[in-house]
Amino acid sequence: MPRQFAYYPGCVAEFSSKELNATTKALAPLLDIELLPMPQATCCGAGDVAQAKPNLYLTLNVRILSEAESMGVDILTICNVCTLNLRRANKMVKEDSRVLEAVNEELVKAGARPYQGTIEVTHLLWFLATEEGLSLLEARGPRGLNGLKVAPYYGCQLLRPSSVMGFEDPDRPQSLERLITALGGEVSDYEGKTRCCGFPIILAREEVALKESHVALAGARDAGAQVMVTPCPLCHLAMDAYQRKTEQLMGEEYAMPVLHLPQLIGLALGLPTKTMEFKRHLVPVDEVLSIVGA
Amino acid sequence: MPATTFRIFRYQPDSSETESYHQDFQLEHGEKTTLLDAILRIQNEQDGTVAVRYSCRSAICGSCACKANGKTVLACMMQVEHVKTDSGQEIVQVDPIGNFTPIKDLVVDMTPFWDKFKAVKPFLIPDGPAPEKERLVPKAAMEKIAKESKCILCAACYSECNSLAADPEFVGPAAFAWGYRFAADERDGQRKNRAKLYSGEHGVWDCTRCMFCNERCPKGVDPRDAIEKLGSIAFQEKVTSDKGARHAKAFLISLRTGGKLNEILIAPYTDPIGAPFNAPLALRMAQKGKLPKSPLTHRVKDRDQVKKLIKNVKETI
Repeated sequence: MPRQFAYYPGCVAEFSSKELNATTKALAPLLDIELLPMPQATCCGAGDVAQAKPNLYLTLNVRILSEAESMGVDILTICNVCTLNLRRANKMVKEDSRVLEAVNEELVKAGARPYQGTIEVTHLLWFLATEEGLSLLEARGPRGLNGLKVAPYYGCQLLRPSSVMGFEDPDRPQSLERLITALGGEVSDYEGKTRCCGFPIILAREEVALKESHVALAGARDAGAQVMVTPCPLCHLAMDAYQRKTEQLMGEEYAMPVLHLPQLIGLALGLPTKTMEFKRHLVPVDEVLSIVGA
Repeated sequence: MPATTFRIFRYQPDSSETESYHQDFQLEHGEKTTLLDAILRIQNEQDGTVAVRYSCRSAICGSCACKANGKTVLACMMQVEHVKTDSGQEIVQVDPIGNFTPIKDLVVDMTPFWDKFKAVKPFLIPDGPAPEKERLVPKAAMEKIAKESKCILCAACYSECNSLAADPEFVGPAAFAWGYRFAADERDGQRKNRAKLYSGEHGVWDCTRCMFCNERCPKGVDPRDAIEKLGSIAFQEKVTSDKGARHAKAFLISLRTGGKLNEILIAPYTDPIGAPFNAPLALRMAQKGKLPKSPLTHRVKDRDQVKKLIKNVKETI
């Protein structure tokens, strides 16, 4: 019996970065996971709605949690920002029954199901970086990454604030490293792996954002990485789609292919490259594919 | 008794050695010795020229923030043994806080910090003449600003702020925590003016949400949350012309019209003037299928519920 999750891919993975959604869906059966759709689920607000209308942010996110609760399963995400927004809302209502009551009153008034506070929200990385997840990968007998030098890039919101996220030490995270090693890759360690990609402000403050992503891109390059991997599609857009702009601004060359986490796992497990839609990346990944023999 | 090697950042521009370097000191210390006590003992017993800023030794004055094995802490609040366990390292490297210019060893130039602090007008500016007696404030009203009132201006939040690292002019977390503390104080009469003051270039919409400030604050102020609440005040006061506020508005429009993000809308709505200059990137993204072919909104099931929530839910900050 596969482990069931209410699947919340988030807007970016559903639209701009469809390759992430497609790869996750293709990977799920190999990992004995069943991803159940959430047809009512809205955007989490990406931190923007929280900064404009915090009560609305909370209510909309609790509505998403409530849909999963009606399905009787926990939520699985593939985006740092969605994970933080959903977990934060969950924490706020679970810790204060008055807040939950007020939110439920609004939900009921709008014809939505009230939430009882029984759902957990986890990210695919967290699920796989546990013993259970790693043994699922091992059971698949990974073809492996052939010593591919991989720079783990966490970004911010899967680590901080640790009072909301809490899966691992936000200053010394090891989940990506554990996966890279288990899949036969070599970890290229560097300081910028927990710093911000700048994506949340890339449209409003492009130069500031690109200077931020530079720190991680330059760090990964200098550590000798052949590829960067990230658990977040927003980080992926900043690092992949905007990479050339960052190179132009900083006067540097990174030439750093960037993989979504499920793509790295897919490569190791032998998913067909066509399924993982690498052609949608702006920085070509051909060399990576040739190293792992895909 | 534990013994530890302290690798201390040295910078003595007035001496013959004008470049910075790290110097090792060995010290035997108690199990519960704080990092500040260890540094002061090194100063007293081994090298009187080691410079460190401190005062209260009790996590109240906010003077002794520094980096211990890369992580910003109050030196008086952190035990040496805790630094070692926390970082998994036997040597304790002590550096000045980040995003500031060192003056001497662990002492940095705080001038930009105080300038930004002053710029947010961190004091009450009531409307109208002063009352005859004190202004009474209900407890609930003060609870709204209780967290932010705990800020001790130690600058731990600035030390690892990623926006500040990329934009030294960013006003920054502590100053905005104070800004919120007064903007949301019901005795203050400058709510709208404050919203305008905090919403410009280098203002609240510059925050990249790296969450380092919430993670590092030794007093639980959660400055990022204060920045978020200042955004909400700006929306309530209809101060929404900044590109960052327009970005948030694009999310609200997306939610109202379909429920999910409308990627066609978001870039031109956020920055109608600048977006055309990004056409080359947009074209490359379109060629890779990263932009939608159809301008139709993405509609979730039961979106009438979402519309009702957007209409009904009131903001309370």
